[in-house]
Amino acid sequence: MTITDAPARTGTALRIRGLRRTFGSAVALDGLDLDVAPGELLALLGPSGCGKTTALRVLAGFERPDSGQVLLDGEDIVPVPANRRDTGMVFQSYSLFPHLTAAENVAFGMRMRKVAAAERRTRAAELLELVGLPDHGGRYPHQLSGGQQQRVALARALALRPRLLLLDEPLSALDAQVRVNLREEIRRLQLELGITTVFVTHDQEEALSMADRVAVMRGGRLEQCATPAELYDRPATAFVASFIGTMNRIPGRLASDGQAEVLGVTLPVDGPAGGATAFLLRPEALDVTADGPDTVIGSSFHGASTRLRVRLADGTEVKADLPSHAAGAFGAGAAVTVRPQRRPVLVAGEEA
Amino acid sequence: MARLIPAGVRPWRGVVLGAAGLYFLVPLLAALVFTVDVPNQGFTLDSYTQIFSADGFTTALLLSLGLGLTTVALALLLTLPAALAVRLSGSGRLRAVLEVVCTLPLVVPPVALVAGIGTVLKWGPDHLASTPLYETFVAVQDPEFPIVLVLAYVVMALPFVYRSLEAGLRAVDVRTLVEAARDLGASWPRAIVSVVLPNLRTALLNASFLALALVLGEFTVAQLLGFQPFAVWIVQASGSNAQLSVAVSLLSLVLTWVLLLVLTAVFRTRAARSARAPRPAKNRSDKNKKEAGA
Amino acid sequence: MTTLTTSSSPGVGDALDARRPRRRGPRASGSWLAALPLLAFVALAFGLPAVAMVDGAFTVNGSYGLGNLDQSVHGAYRTALLGSLKLAATTAGIGSVLGLLLAQAVVTSRGRALREAVLTASGVLANFGGVPLAFAFVATLGNAGVLTTRLGLDRHGWSLYSFWGLTLTYLYFLVPLMVLTVAPALDGLRPQWREAALNSGAGAWQYWRHVGIPVLLPTLLGGFVLLFGSAFAAYATAAAMVGSSIPLVTLQIADALSGNVLIGQENVALALSLDMVLVAALVMAVHLPLQRRSARWLA
Repeated sequence: MTITDAPARTGTALRIRGLRRTFGSAVALDGLDLDVAPGELLALLGPSGCGKTTALRVLAGFERPDSGQVLLDGEDIVPVPANRRDTGMVFQSYSLFPHLTAAENVAFGMRMRKVAAAERRTRAAELLELVGLPDHGGRYPHQLSGGQQQRVALARALALRPRLLLLDEPLSALDAQVRVNLREEIRRLQLELGITTVFVTHDQEEALSMADRVAVMRGGRLEQCATPAELYDRPATAFVASFIGTMNRIPGRLASDGQAEVLGVTLPVDGPAGGATAFLLRPEALDVTADGPDTVIGSSFHGASTRLRVRLADGTEVKADLPSHAAGAFGAGAAVTVRPQRRPVLVAGEEA
Repeated sequence: MARLIPAGVRPWRGVVLGAAGLYFLVPLLAALVFTVDVPNQGFTLDSYTQIFSADGFTTALLLSLGLGLTTVALALLLTLPAALAVRLSGSGRLRAVLEVVCTLPLVVPPVALVAGIGTVLKWGPDHLASTPLYETFVAVQDPEFPIVLVLAYVVMALPFVYRSLEAGLRAVDVRTLVEAARDLGASWPRAIVSVVLPNLRTALLNASFLALALVLGEFTVAQLLGFQPFAVWIVQASGSNAQLSVAVSLLSLVLTWVLLLVLTAVFRTRAARSARAPRPAKNRSDKNKKEAGA
Repeated sequence: MTTLTTSSSPGVGDALDARRPRRRGPRASGSWLAALPLLAFVALAFGLPAVAMVDGAFTVNGSYGLGNLDQSVHGAYRTALLGSLKLAATTAGIGSVLGLLLAQAVVTSRGRALREAVLTASGVLANFGGVPLAFAFVATLGNAGVLTTRLGLDRHGWSLYSFWGLTLTYLYFLVPLMVLTVAPALDGLRPQWREAALNSGAGAWQYWRHVGIPVLLPTLLGGFVLLFGSAFAAYATAAAMVGSSIPLVTLQIADALSGNVLIGQENVALALSLDMVLVAALVMAVHLPLQRRSARWLA
């Protein structure tokens, strides 16, 4: 391996147990349980106010939980002060010390640990090379672009070979193009170093594309923790279903055999059906054919696929994704028929 | 974040604030006591009731106000076109020149400035007695309304007025505003007056306040050139009635305070209205709060 | 003694301009024309006196020479110069420390009202130099002052008309000036820096030692020289309060100008003025780059 950061240990397991944190009467964390495997990248995803940032700050030691445990390789680190924890953190933005050069920023932690100057310099140079900025060590933060600053911040977070890497929306302040590049690079580095990582984001695309597993949070609780594919295909709750990707909510009825009848097609139901009157279907699970009672009211081109907006005969508006060559036939106002493909559907909760 | 500061460190803040409060309030209160509790007389409001009838008060105050308003007008009239020109043309050289020109007065303390002005004024009788310029020299030194003071005050106010306008112009995209107005058919002067100036109201107010406060309290130049506006009058009056001059000092402080409060209030309503694009950093902390509170 | 309350952030607008192509608008010559009245005015009202000052400072008995400047740094004038420097250094030093403490106390407090009140009050008090300030202190701590008589301070050897009396008075506008200068900088210290430092293993003390203070240093130094310049140039307060019982360069110049001393000393007064300008220029030369740097760091 060319990288000097070959994990000293074979990755660290993180277990979070019953984490609770309140601010006055507001509950930010309401008994959070979470397991992160050694070397895994876990994304904490949720709308703002869901407690994901608070969770990360508890891991870093910036917030003290009211109760609960944070176990790093089996040891509870809640009582350990932030500056003695083995965590490296990358902040959203503007976290580089403005009076220090990139190299000095990276070396800061080693200076605190009284590492010899020569060794600090060597290691800072290695880390800057690792994040793709070998020639930028002498620059000050204000001389670096936003993306470069975040790379330096990443190098700084890795400098002390932390057992746990914490990323607090590190890409959200960057331009779209830079964001995608850096996203891939963070993932590459994380895999190379095998470092256990928790990544907070409100951007589902980011979470789905980078993480081994995604933990969707709401109201200080965990809604679902699963691989991106599982989360997308088999959302455990209606909240997750509507939060991840796009969902159509289509009225239907429950047949006697427990199957659902939606738009004249009988479909298997995923999960308990109850007395459902509406079902959730992804845009790509809908077929559109020419002629019929439904009307196309608009379309947007997404390269290979095109998303049609269709008003059903009963007035419900749905979105359907078609290969672009097929969608070309349907302009606004075209009469069409929308039919679900034969896939399991989810029952719509009252809030979806 | 509160956890980062050990709880035991808190009391220092109370001590600092308490001591500061004492230091800043005691002289004001003591001065108030001084004016209403006169030895051998007991409690009296005479110091305040006498002010308006005091010899020379009205003249001095009116002179100061006149000088102040003239200074504000002249300073804005000179600075505004220049500052606008810098913004609109984007000329780096003009900008640098003005930056230097408007910083220079800070390098010359008022006492030094007045020494220079005094020297120039002496050239009048010395060298120019037989030329028409002499008339001008006499005119600018008319004790009824000494224009020479206005000249000195504009110079002294220049750095503050210019920077205040600069900051105001920075906050609005003047060029786009003007271009938009011109596209809609407004002439150049019309675009400036009806689009740019309203957007600069805060900066103009701020600059005016700074200049006005400077002139109303100015003592050095006026005294050394032998004129008697407000501040010089106070010192003169203190010889015969100490209570009176302290009372006037207190009142002038209150007046400044009220002026600034009014200005701050204007600022705040303006700021509230134009708080459209918060900086990312601000955004961040708001978001933190929201998350924490949700 | 007017204080700049608007902070400007240089560079923001420039970047904007740089990206823009030149478009129809007043040509460069037109913009110089717009600035012409200002430039002409400054040349007349500022340039002329400045030239007169320099000219006079170097004129000895009708011909050029260094006699006045030489005289201005010797004897009583030297004492006055040193007195002013000492007063300015002392008040600026104490004022900076107290201003920093007060600003930190205000910035870290939860109450918004307190913060607003202190900053507004600072805006007023920083401009509250000169005559009114002198009289407020005379009424409080002068020979017949309220505190002096009620607490019997005079029996303990207190005199307002002394170096320390003047120091106490100057601080009344210098401390608020420092508060106005450092409060934005303290606000600019990002919580992320503290957290990043903690995360890198620094304790609270190490954070201040390696991050907080170094980041604030340009502002603190800039504030110090600003206070220094302000105290050095102050005349009205001292003149209204102590007359000329304390040797200060501003009082000396005033004396010479009003003919209170030997005739023919006017040119020495001009030389003294030139000395002051040099000190003030030095102050600005230190202050401006520092201000620019801290604006860049804390923007």
